[in-house]
Amino acid sequence: MASMGRNLLSASAIALCAASAAAADVQVEFWHSFGGGGGKALDTIIADFEAANPGIDIVTEHVGNYNDIVAKLQAAIPANRAPDAVILEVTRYGLFADSGVLLDLTPYLDADPLKADLFDFAREVGVYEGKNYIVPFNNSTPVMYYNREIMERAGFAEEPAPKTYDDLLAVSKTVTEKLGGEGIYGIAAPGQFARWGLIMSNDSDLIDSVSGEILIDAPNTIDAYKWMSSLVHEHKVASPDGVTDEDLGKDAFTAGKVAINLGSTGSYGGYVKALGDKLEVRPMPCNKVCRVPIGGAGIGILASAEKEVQEAAYKFVSFAASAESNAKWFAATGYMPINRKTAEQPVAAEALATQPGIRVAIDQLPVAKGRPRPPVVTWMRSTGYDMWQAMALGQRPVEETLTDFAARTREEAKRSQ
Amino acid sequence: MKRDPLLLTGLALGAGLLFLAPVIYSIWLSFQTANAYYTGTLAFTLDNYGHAIGQYNFARYLVNSVIVSGLVTLIGISLATMAAFAFARWRFWGGDFLFGAVVATLMIPSHITLIPNYLTLAKVGLLDTYAGLVLPAISSGFAAFFLRQYIRGIPRALDEAAYMDGATPLQVLLRVIVPVARPAILSMGLYIFISEWNSYIWPLVAVGRQDMYTLQIGLARLYRINPGEGMIDWPLVMAASTLTLLPVLLGFFLVERHLIRGITMGAVK
Amino acid sequence: MTAGQTDTARPAVARRPFAGRRLLRRATPYLFALPLLLFIAVFTYIPIASSLNLSLREWNFLRPDKPFVGLENYRTLLSQREVWNALRVTVIFAVISVPLRLGLALMIASYLVRETLPSRLLRGALFLPSVTSTVSIAVIFSWVFATDGGLMNAALTSLGGPKVPWMQDPMLALCVLIAVNTWKQLGYDVIIYIAGLQAVPPELYDAAAVDGGRRWHVFRRVTVPLVMPTTYFLLVIAVIEAFQVFTIVDVMTRGGPAGATDMLVNMLYRVGFTLFDIGQGSALAVLLFLLLIGLALVKSRILGRRVHYEA
Repeated sequence: MASMGRNLLSASAIALCAASAAAADVQVEFWHSFGGGGGKALDTIIADFEAANPGIDIVTEHVGNYNDIVAKLQAAIPANRAPDAVILEVTRYGLFADSGVLLDLTPYLDADPLKADLFDFAREVGVYEGKNYIVPFNNSTPVMYYNREIMERAGFAEEPAPKTYDDLLAVSKTVTEKLGGEGIYGIAAPGQFARWGLIMSNDSDLIDSVSGEILIDAPNTIDAYKWMSSLVHEHKVASPDGVTDEDLGKDAFTAGKVAINLGSTGSYGGYVKALGDKLEVRPMPCNKVCRVPIGGAGIGILASAEKEVQEAAYKFVSFAASAESNAKWFAATGYMPINRKTAEQPVAAEALATQPGIRVAIDQLPVAKGRPRPPVVTWMRSTGYDMWQAMALGQRPVEETLTDFAARTREEAKRSQ
Repeated sequence: MKRDPLLLTGLALGAGLLFLAPVIYSIWLSFQTANAYYTGTLAFTLDNYGHAIGQYNFARYLVNSVIVSGLVTLIGISLATMAAFAFARWRFWGGDFLFGAVVATLMIPSHITLIPNYLTLAKVGLLDTYAGLVLPAISSGFAAFFLRQYIRGIPRALDEAAYMDGATPLQVLLRVIVPVARPAILSMGLYIFISEWNSYIWPLVAVGRQDMYTLQIGLARLYRINPGEGMIDWPLVMAASTLTLLPVLLGFFLVERHLIRGITMGAVK
Repeated sequence: MTAGQTDTARPAVARRPFAGRRLLRRATPYLFALPLLLFIAVFTYIPIASSLNLSLREWNFLRPDKPFVGLENYRTLLSQREVWNALRVTVIFAVISVPLRLGLALMIASYLVRETLPSRLLRGALFLPSVTSTVSIAVIFSWVFATDGGLMNAALTSLGGPKVPWMQDPMLALCVLIAVNTWKQLGYDVIIYIAGLQAVPPELYDAAAVDGGRRWHVFRRVTVPLVMPTTYFLLVIAVIEAFQVFTIVDVMTRGGPAGATDMLVNMLYRVGFTLFDIGQGSALAVLLFLLLIGLALVKSRILGRRVHYEA
């Protein structure tokens, strides 16, 4: 626990240099989104940082998921109670960068040797309109997880290795038919990250990353959504639980109630812990093309923080992206290395050698694609959940939903310009 | 048709327990280990309460709820009694209009004030404070309306006797009206306390810092963040839920009569 | 009895020639009422005006300026299906839950009206949920209706029934919310009805008391008409409550699945505090306000001058 680390640290500080020393510390309030194994790994990184920087105290708060952070940050602005540093998902910080809430980190990063160490893909996620607003911390691509034991019990003598939508559906159907009686489903309803990946693999997108054109109602996007929705309400190979709450889909997979789960490589650590050697990891299916989105988050610093705090916060941000920290993070969670030197670190090298599944996301990098991050994306993603529910539960035809959604997104984009 | 009163009592008790079964079962569940719950066996523990109070901070939430509900009740009932006294005992310029404005708040959905109140308290820096939770909840139009009706029923001769003895209006309020109206004030106080204890949307909006959560917010959030590896840790959630409803549950048996009298007095003239 | 009489009665003792004293006396009622009025003004009336103002502007909390956009927010809001869906869901909720609550409550009340021990016990049990934390109740029923590991499905499957996805099915989820709300509020209605019934002179029952076969007749011809004033009162309360339901929705469904339980206040919270479209959120708040005021006016039309206080 970070607080315990902090307590120990401040206790020793007091012991060493009398009670006043602790009061002189620079405090950096930091909001993040990691619980479970990720939370513990983050606590370790923070403890390391504080040990190396005795004058700086990182005060963490686990706010919830990416959506919760965006909401809480936005609410905090008029109240002047924003933190000093915050984890922001790679497609949703444009809103804050655009309105001057985030500090432009370009000068900091330019002066930081870290810049050269970051992989290009990782550095790119932090750039909005030519300036750097977040420094990558946890980056990911979606991968295909499956439960080997379930596959074997469903009668697959060898790995089914689904590549296309049709393959995936066929495998899911077999599993559901064979083991549905035990409450086992073929596939988990794809979560928001996996959905974006499946759309890309159908040679489409939600927003074009170059032109910014909204592609929600493009024919290939519509086809992708039709197929994804059909998993739930037509073929019933995916449980509707995962539609209303995608965590339930993940839970079902860790509980051995789902054969296939498409999701972030950042879930790897938790899945290994739950499923052990039953877990297999493969690249995302390629329906029309092989293409995956780059996801995850970086850390931004608030423009409202005091200069001294901003500098302390940047030290932490840079430390968190260093090879040493990133190696620990990578090994504990499965998020991709963002630093070129990460793989040389013993802890990362060991993970790569002993856990073959952890490198699938890295191997996918040649086909990974960054996503645009204009302010409207934040709105689009918040609103998108309801749209997906309506389609997946068969409440509203896919084409109609997406046409409407696209029109509203365009209107919203105009408004937010 | 003659019926055995003992049998009837038994039947009523059974029906009542059946009605409350979800709550009773949830309390029972809070004493089980998560493991036992998921494997369908029985194993009892107090750990869930330990975790809720310690790791998940429910002791703090309990204190917050007590402070906030207590302050709202004390200040709210005082203001309502004073205003009720004024509206019941004086006819003054604008009095009817002002009383109308108080009563009209009963019809106004509180949600229209949500965003502006958030902004007001943000501006003065009172979000995440007890004051921020308490201030917008203080005015109870219902209590003022109800107590005014009640005070009007108190014979004026009592006031006048006190004035004869040289009492000031404040003294009359404190020494004559309040003692006579005690049951009504008590009932309204309970009503305010329970409403505030269970209040949800304003604390949800006004509080961001975890150490300022009330029980309601703490519980909703504990349920939302879904503790437990993979599966929801229902026994832990139920321990937190029990902590949240227990104070009112215990109080209920002590004050049921006052409470019921309060609501029925308000409803039926 | 008017206050004028008070003023003439009192000065016998209190009369003093000083103007300051007289001013203080005239100010007395204002001073007593002022604190409450101040709070009401600051936290209720001024916010209404400020919601109106914000509803004509575009703002997302992030920028310092709030450009005036006229009725644009209302136009956008009303041109989207969300608000109509929320209105529809809210009306369905009200139309089902209000008669359900009142009907059940009156029937139960007419059984529990006597002051006997069993009746008092049962009343207590029924009343308990209405003073219990709504969040707790919502959490408890989320577990009762959980697809896996929930009480309801455990009972169903042990009887050989199917596992029902209560909270994932749009229709069922709304039914569950109505059931939970009814369960919570029923006891309050029962208590009020009992008070109403007890105010009825017992001779009327004795006169109408007939053999068991015609109980229903007595209920319809005697009980129902006699408690009409109570019914009106509860009707108003229940309708206003139905239009403001939020807590159980937020905890149990967050308006899902697919908007099936997205009631007006839930939408207001979402637009205001997750999408931070302050203009549209305020516009929605104003519309909800007008709707409830409208309902209140319709009600007082129906009830004529039968208001709850006599000035």
